[in-house]
Amino acid sequence: MKSEPRKPFSKDIIHIENIDQVCNDIIAKLKTDVAKKLQRRGGVIGISGGIDSSVCLALSAKAFGPKNVLAIMLPEQDSSDDSRELAEKLAKKFGVSTLIENITEALNGFGCYERRDEAILRVIPSFDKDKDKAKIEIKQNIAENIPAIFSITVIKPDGESISKLLPAKEYLQIVASTNFKQRSRMSMLYYHGERLHYAVIGTPNKHEVEQGFFVKHGDGGADVMPIGHLYKTQVYQLARHLGVPQEIIDRTPTTDTYTAEQSQEDFFYQMPFESMDLIWYGWENGYPAQEVGKVMDKTTKEIENIYKSFERKRKTTEYLRMRPIF
Amino acid sequence: MENQNDVKSDIKKYILEASLSDVKDVEDDALIFENGLLDSMGLLFLIEFLGETFNVEVNDDELNPKNFESINSIVSFVNNKLAVKV
Repeated sequence: MKSEPRKPFSKDIIHIENIDQVCNDIIAKLKTDVAKKLQRRGGVIGISGGIDSSVCLALSAKAFGPKNVLAIMLPEQDSSDDSRELAEKLAKKFGVSTLIENITEALNGFGCYERRDEAILRVIPSFDKDKDKAKIEIKQNIAENIPAIFSITVIKPDGESISKLLPAKEYLQIVASTNFKQRSRMSMLYYHGERLHYAVIGTPNKHEVEQGFFVKHGDGGADVMPIGHLYKTQVYQLARHLGVPQEIIDRTPTTDTYTAEQSQEDFFYQMPFESMDLIWYGWENGYPAQEVGKVMDKTTKEIENIYKSFERKRKTTEYLRMRPIF
Repeated sequence: MENQNDVKSDIKKYILEASLSDVKDVEDDALIFENGLLDSMGLLFLIEFLGETFNVEVNDDELNPKNFESINSIVSFVNNKLAVKV
């Protein structure tokens, strides 16, 4: 049998042509997975006002019927205020019931904020937890061939910003303490899922799953992940097709985890989604760096280094995707 | 102050011990990240080691392949920092 010639690399290579069919397939699979494989009668989903959870809510509403979906907002003291407004608008649009579960007290119980702030203070002694805002970010250029290392940035009320490379001990403590947020959300989602005999719908997209941008047993803890195979630009395509409110589509994806505003690009991905999707596709499908570089207006060396960075991220985060070993 | 040979042998010993691969030796100019000897946490622990052993602090803008890609580049980075201190 003659195999089809491979498509030349182009900026449209991951564009979904038959969007209606793709949405219908995902919806049909979601319905079967939840009803037949998981044997649950609906879905519970944590919504943040972000694009991924919005698309998952829209898909779930179509798969199970709006009355069999519960959308839960899980804010805490560092969440941005407009997240709630957008999440409410979204749920209303798809006719889904909502619930607000504020997890701040649970996080206080775990010592989440205290443990995080204690580590920040050790690196930046002038940090005032009540007045300053903080975030962690990667400042290196992804096209340079060296692993990514996080820095902490503290922003003073007058806008002054202090940034320092995070030492290993403090980096690990900050990440471990903020991960209480995603794990507390997961516990609450499972409470409602079990209470209603619903499945927990996970919202990570392909990059989050494969590059390990999720918390093990946190947002990575779910029964089904309907967009886990989709690139971010494809998630946007679905959002437009499904009628997700425009304000959500236009919003810059943030982590909503640290007190200072922080885009996912600064925090983890080190490049815009549009470029990352295409270069990841090129890497995953074995396109030569030279061919991808020409289309992406980058040198072959830059693409080779980005390929290496993807390879490193997938390898170093393998642990997150692993099941317990026995 | 440690001499240059001590710096190299301390760094080499550390990298071999901390390596994710089961290697007995590593060339001084081998690319340690490209060869999978260290990953990003490995780099972070290496920076911690440089601070504890040589009292050398690494800044954001110093984290580049020129300073960290091989044992030779790390040794020359550390020696330059130590020379500035003297």
